Amino acid sequence: MMPTVTLSNGARRALLLAPALIFLAVFFVMPLLDNSARSFIREGGFTLSRYTDFLTDRFYLGVIAETVILSAAVTAISVLIAYPVAYVLVRKAGGFSGLMIFFLIAPLLTSIIMRTFGWQVLFARRGLVNQWLVNDLGLLDAPLRWLNTPGLAIAALVHVLVPFAVLSIASVLQGVDRRLEEGALMLGASRIRTFFEVTLPLTVDGIGTGAILVFMIANGSFVTLVLLGGGFQTLPLLIYQQFNTTRDFALASTMSTILLMIALACLWLQLRLLRRQGV
Amino acid sequence: MTMNRRRFLGTAGATTTLLGLSGLPLRAQGGTLNVTAYGGVWEQAIRDCFVAPFEAKTGATATVSLGGPAQWLSQVEANPEQPPLDVLIMSPDLAVLAAEGDLMDDFTVEKLPNLQYIPQEFTDACLGKGTYFDYGVGGITYNKQIVSEPPRSFADFVERVSSGEFIASVPSISYGPTTVFFLWAINNALGGDVDNVDPFFEAMAKMKDNLVFWAGPNDFFNHLASGEADLGIYFDGRTWNHVDEGVDWIDFINPEEGGAMTAVAIQKPKNASDLAWDYLNEVLDAGNQAKFAEILNYGVTNTQVEYSEKLASRVTPLSEANLPPYADIARVRNDWIDRWNREIGM
Repeated sequence: MMPTVTLSNGARRALLLAPALIFLAVFFVMPLLDNSARSFIREGGFTLSRYTDFLTDRFYLGVIAETVILSAAVTAISVLIAYPVAYVLVRKAGGFSGLMIFFLIAPLLTSIIMRTFGWQVLFARRGLVNQWLVNDLGLLDAPLRWLNTPGLAIAALVHVLVPFAVLSIASVLQGVDRRLEEGALMLGASRIRTFFEVTLPLTVDGIGTGAILVFMIANGSFVTLVLLGGGFQTLPLLIYQQFNTTRDFALASTMSTILLMIALACLWLQLRLLRRQGV
Repeated sequence: MTMNRRRFLGTAGATTTLLGLSGLPLRAQGGTLNVTAYGGVWEQAIRDCFVAPFEAKTGATATVSLGGPAQWLSQVEANPEQPPLDVLIMSPDLAVLAAEGDLMDDFTVEKLPNLQYIPQEFTDACLGKGTYFDYGVGGITYNKQIVSEPPRSFADFVERVSSGEFIASVPSISYGPTTVFFLWAINNALGGDVDNVDPFFEAMAKMKDNLVFWAGPNDFFNHLASGEADLGIYFDGRTWNHVDEGVDWIDFINPEEGGAMTAVAIQKPKNASDLAWDYLNEVLDAGNQAKFAEILNYGVTNTQVEYSEKLASRVTPLSEANLPPYADIARVRNDWIDRWNREIGM
């Protein structure tokens, strides 16, 4: 008979957590620390000069502002579009809800590059949309230039990110107790008042989760902006350039750390706002 | 929960071994060489034209790592004592950086007999630590169905795009070679030099309302195919590749001022396997290079190469292309990129 080792509850928990913690430590925490360390070291000594240089340069401050504003705009539009879609999905779609979920998820199965090329084909100067407007419908004398405009870049990002918001909101909406809404209606509240005073507050958690998810992904979005331009200069684009073109790894690390701090600050702010709502 | 002690120790041991193994450097050893290639048709051409004859002659094997020069150079920089790659394909500017960093071995005719057929200026451009084996020329590619009278020079291109006669697709700053085959080439054509790029930025300011930017070569073709642009700045070889694929509506012009020669360099990291010299000699071989040129529609550097009739009419002769001063450009390139970011955007 072989001797056996009896593990306490704590040890058992630690053993179960170990693979995930080791994975995170090796593939996330260590590279992150190594990357950040580059930005603080110059000629063998500790320095904050890269951060002071970066944060006192009007051009780079503009880039930070553009990154945050773009992410916030994409998040706001995505949530505004996602809520009605989630509402219909949960409350109205009935037997078609499966089909709706399929249509929501189907674009995610396609490469983001292919989806972005689709926007190029549709909105090119001699693309399908301009052909309709100019040749078929006669609404315009000359084709419009859609590509490389901020509006199209934002639309493409929203297109990519709306499903994340819909799924987050829908899962919370599904759990809302319908009797609360029925109670409000029975007590004389209109449908609109019931929505704004009962349904919406009860789904703030889903809105918050969706908003955080969309904001984080938009904050680091790269491919869509590279391919569709829009004139945006965001931190991910500059980071890629520093790593890939100028090979200024220290500056890239500085930008990466600042981008991470912005993401964490926004996450903290959103969580605080949600808690204030009592969620 | 109970766990057999032997099983517990076995699991822990296996985990430790796996973690330890994951830290081992990937390195070509013994009779195996690790060479590099870009993806797609490039990879196949490298395998057919250089890897196959190398393996046939030496009995060794060569594995092909796909990627790009910046990534490969970083891999060598991270482990110069035991470089994970034995042969690097490099952009000319990074080849200069790698040579200046003393990361690469010297190229000599003693080690590489075929080097005697490569113009010395190409080895000099790599500071003696590498040479060019393949080149394309950046010029004007246009849609023949839209543009009946294409610009014949860079100066004409700038004027006519500025006036709104054409919408042009030009490389964005996120594409590595942009600073050479676009920025330097236009600047040079308009009278600027490495230390004065005002002519280029003034031209861009004039053209800005009629420009779209491509982030990668396929992006350029999409701009032309979708009608977003009428013409643009592109490479000769890539244009001919599209023609061979059945795209009969595009054509290429080497501008009168001469397009910038955008070369591909090869280098051997210090401490890489000596087998690399045999492979590199195959890369510089006239027969192998001729075959490579036929596949890719790009010029090659061995002076003994005889192109087919079709290719001879397409490849821009070395005499009609400008060899950019890559070492000087490497010195100021980051300043140019910073100025581009601030004045033009990404």
